[in-house]
Amino acid sequence: MKGTIRTAYAHDQNAAAAVRAAQADLGDEPADLIVAFVGGKHAPEAALAALRAAFPGITLAGGAAAGAISAHGFGYGGFEIGLIAFAGADVTPAVVATRDLLSGEFAAGETLGEAVRARTEDGQAVLLLFDSVASTAPLKLHPASQIMAGFQSGLAARELHIVGGGLLTDINLSDGWLLDGGEVCKHAAAALIFPPGIAAETVIFHGCRPASSFLDITKIEGAEVLELNGEPALTVVERMLGLTLGTTSGQQLSLVATLGQKQGDPYAPFDENAYVNRLILQANPERGSLTLFEPDFEVGARVQIMSRDNILMLESVTRGVDDLRSRMAAKTTLLGLYIDCAGRASVMTGAETEEAELVVETLAPKFPFMGFYSGVEIAPFAGGTSRPLDWTGVLTVLQAAR
Amino acid sequence: MNVPATPSFEQLQRELEFYRREYDDMGARLVRLQEEQSRAAREARRSKIVARLVRDAYQIVHQDIFASKIGGLILAMVADTALCDKAAFLKRDPVDTERFVVEHALGGMTGETLELPAPPAFLFTASGKPAEPAAAPLTALIGVPYILFAHDESSGRGVLLGKKFEGNIHRPYEARDAEIVEVVLAVYIDLLLRKSAEATMRQARQAAEEASNTRARFLANLSHELRSPLNTIIGFSGLMLEGRARAPTPEQRDEFARQIQDAGRSLLALANDILDFSSLGHARLQLRREWVPLAPLLHAVARALTQDIAARNVWVDVLPVQAELQAHIDYDRFRQILTNILGNAVKFTPPGGRIELGACLEGRSGIRLSVRDNGIGIREEDLARALEPFVQLKSESHDHPRGAGLGLPIAKQLVEAHDGELQLASVFGMGTEVTILLPEGSGKLG
Repeated sequence: MKGTIRTAYAHDQNAAAAVRAAQADLGDEPADLIVAFVGGKHAPEAALAALRAAFPGITLAGGAAAGAISAHGFGYGGFEIGLIAFAGADVTPAVVATRDLLSGEFAAGETLGEAVRARTEDGQAVLLLFDSVASTAPLKLHPASQIMAGFQSGLAARELHIVGGGLLTDINLSDGWLLDGGEVCKHAAAALIFPPGIAAETVIFHGCRPASSFLDITKIEGAEVLELNGEPALTVVERMLGLTLGTTSGQQLSLVATLGQKQGDPYAPFDENAYVNRLILQANPERGSLTLFEPDFEVGARVQIMSRDNILMLESVTRGVDDLRSRMAAKTTLLGLYIDCAGRASVMTGAETEEAELVVETLAPKFPFMGFYSGVEIAPFAGGTSRPLDWTGVLTVLQAAR
Repeated sequence: MNVPATPSFEQLQRELEFYRREYDDMGARLVRLQEEQSRAAREARRSKIVARLVRDAYQIVHQDIFASKIGGLILAMVADTALCDKAAFLKRDPVDTERFVVEHALGGMTGETLELPAPPAFLFTASGKPAEPAAAPLTALIGVPYILFAHDESSGRGVLLGKKFEGNIHRPYEARDAEIVEVVLAVYIDLLLRKSAEATMRQARQAAEEASNTRARFLANLSHELRSPLNTIIGFSGLMLEGRARAPTPEQRDEFARQIQDAGRSLLALANDILDFSSLGHARLQLRREWVPLAPLLHAVARALTQDIAARNVWVDVLPVQAELQAHIDYDRFRQILTNILGNAVKFTPPGGRIELGACLEGRSGIRLSVRDNGIGIREEDLARALEPFVQLKSESHDHPRGAGLGLPIAKQLVEAHDGELQLASVFGMGTEVTILLPEGSGKLG
């Protein structure tokens, strides 16, 4: 296999200085594609100008990130720059993109899926990146579940290893943007299709455990859960927890709890990998409802209130890395990619240990490694197709296929 | 052996309900415990932020950066550590003391100044707290609703942090956050003082080095300036002593005596210059200012140098000066200034060259005096040094008389003692113009 993948991380309040520092770290070897994860305090146009100046004529991908994670440092203050440089046809992903999320996430995802299907064979790895924020006033997200549903529809029977993340400028969902065609784009999604000679292994880190018995969704409109067990959803959750979920000033996530849906046998022993969690975007006291990050639950779905569990979150990292390492044996690893829910940062969870640091320490990568803090994570779930996930860390290693 | 009876459906339902209730209760406790832990960790974070800020900020002490860069670096640390959206250092306007100027900003402010007649030592805004009146101009300046502000009266500096939201990582600000902004401000002021002290020390060191160089130049120059006339005196007086094989003729004796006298005068002039320059550097000069007509002064200076002018074979023109033009100056000192400048021009203008002296009103009541020659001029790179003491610039020609290099520096100091400015302009090979500018109020007509 010919080609190289290199990564670099820098931190500077000046975007040009940060890019130059990262560029110096990458070295002089030419690149065919630069994927950039840009901290949200950097003005997008300034970051793009800096990237263009540093890498003239080279295709740029990536976009905003609530923070970046590398083997040599990490941060979520907003001044980070994380770069992945691909050189050589054997390792460089092809990029296809859509800028039509605002017209309809499913349709845009489907178009993108069709384009990817036309350029792939079964088994290839794809990194899907998209702008998470549709509007800020009122706050509205581009639902990953609809993008993915469309994308899977466009792929038809094509079986790919899809991982991805929603791009955010910060954890407050202030904004999001994507680099496509040498421009800063809103409402866009991009699929980075890795060449057939690259195989991917992925592990998902969790961190929530059920904190209630099963509750039936009896009324839901899109992502807004109106009723649980026939009662206003907010009333049920607040009564059960003995907590107020927040008066919500529009931008404030209710991070006290999530709603989780157990997959498979509902009465099987607890397995963190069996749960799909949905963050609560807003609690709406006047409607007695809860708005979730994704609109993919339906009437009749059985959910549980889930609690964050910092110990479980860190244990999940250790277990997951061990699992991944056992699958990585005897293969040449080209890149480690970590897509980390911004909510897992210690500033949110209050965990003594930074989860991202633990990932790096446990993995101890002797290969290029880069991660970013995301809004939503996408990964193959429970041995099946890829799904959007909340409050997870998705660690993927790209390796030379046997 | 007693076999437990199979529970009835009703019993099972009750048991299930019991377990469900207990499970829900345990779950709720778990959530609350987790939330409690997170809240405690966020509280502890304040102390961590303060500690990290102090640690990171003091790294700057060891960096070779200007004081003017410190503010920007600290704000970046604050934004990165305290996770605010915007931040600024403010400084009280020295003229309009009710106004503050944005000294450094991160994240963009809506303006560069703000009116803040009575800045509080600390204030914060939060959605759950009525805003203080002083908060309005601050939130308007920073452009976000939630702020932390601290002000240090003695230094006249303030720090302003702001955020757009109160959710997620940005919990609402509270009174205890005073610790953060007060530390930020204290560290900033302390680092400014340190860097300022460092700069002062650096300047003092440079001045000491310069003084040492000057002393070395002075000694080298002085030894030459002393040795030449002393050699003349010793040599010619030796020739005049009785008992020599060939007694000098009366004509020779006259010539030798003249040479000895010239050398003695030269030594006296050198001693006067050195004493003058030394006294100017150590004590404030007492000027006896009076209204002096300038035309007669210029002519008197030119006349006083008639002998040198004739010896160098140069032309000196005193340009027409309005007869009633007067300057409020110390006559003797200004005569010394013009003598030094004209003497220099004579010295560095080749035979046949021309020198012009002029004076006029500058503005309404300022004075401009100039001495312009078409002599050898000064190289651009030497211009700044020409006003330094004991500096003798390199010359292509060796026929120019040497001196202690104190004429222009003395003139400059005397001009500055008159609150004026001495400017030097020159084109190498073309000539030099020395201009004296005296401030408004120094000149009048009649």
